[in-house]
Amino acid sequence: MFRCTRLTTIAACATAALILSGCATLGVHSYLARDADFAHYRSYAWVEPAQFATGDPRLDNNRFFSQRVEDAMDMQLAGRGFEKTSPAAADVLIHIHVRADRGATPEEPAALFVDVIDRRTTSLAWRGWAEGGLDDVVDNQRWMEARIDEAVTKIIARLPR
Amino acid sequence: MRPQFLRSTAVVAAALLLAGCATLRVSSHTDRALVWSKYKTFDWGPADALPAGDPRLEKDPYFEDKTEGAIEKAMAARGFVLSPVGGRPDLLIHYHATIAERLDVEDTERRDNACGSAECRPRVSRYEADTLVVDIVDAASNVLIWRGWAQGNVEGVLGNRDRLRRRIDESVSRMFESLPQAQ
Repeated sequence: MFRCTRLTTIAACATAALILSGCATLGVHSYLARDADFAHYRSYAWVEPAQFATGDPRLDNNRFFSQRVEDAMDMQLAGRGFEKTSPAAADVLIHIHVRADRGATPEEPAALFVDVIDRRTTSLAWRGWAEGGLDDVVDNQRWMEARIDEAVTKIIARLPR
Repeated sequence: MRPQFLRSTAVVAAALLLAGCATLRVSSHTDRALVWSKYKTFDWGPADALPAGDPRLEKDPYFEDKTEGAIEKAMAARGFVLSPVGGRPDLLIHYHATIAERLDVEDTERRDNACGSAECRPRVSRYEADTLVVDIVDAASNVLIWRGWAQGNVEGVLGNRDRLRRRIDESVSRMFESLPQAQ
């Protein structure tokens, strides 16, 4: 009984350590174009790519991933006062893409990119991205969803307004 | 207590690392709100428009034959019925097999606990891993409703039909464990 309890504790610690190390590796960055006019951006629309290609066969055309990102984005953008509209009327177009992990290479971890494109000038106004901590959670859908929510929340928090 | 705890942790970590190298990583995604009771029949769907899979697997008739056989068996075991020729299946299935180089780097901090000396260096292992992805699509709406996959080291598996067949069987049967039963 004693041994069993201790083993459980160790397993719990190991699991917690793995999860924590996953959280710690999520790095969030952004880039703002000099001519971007965020004061006038009010509405957005999604640009749906014909193919959601990532380089990770588990995530290519995986709507359980891409839809979760869109839902999380919709929620965060609404919270920041953006209105979702049609692509023809939107101030900015939003495009997401994923760079897959090439296999635990620390130089280039898996990343989720959010591009904000000025619809009138068709140039990139802003890019936010979250690196790392993605590859290891894909195998667990709930963990993946939690990580997507975390990444999107942190990315959108950097959006100028 | 403390050294013992560290040692135990190291053992657990080592076991996790070893398990990661030696076994298959199998998982799936699905729409948890979906009502599966409306689905009964299935058939093979057209391949998706993604980049072609690895020819060492996808162009191998033995691989195709064993994979399709294993999937049909797994679907039947879940109560789904292969649609008769000319029928209108509820579900369409397609699969995709790729091989990619993977790099595993041993975690330095965890490794230092394990070996406790400065001589230890990060150990990098390079290997080829295959990924078998199986997609189940709602035939009426053309929407993906389930995706399962299995990833493993292909060393000793490619070019060895017996091991390849066992890899396929294990991959498919384990990924289909998460699929709901047909009504």
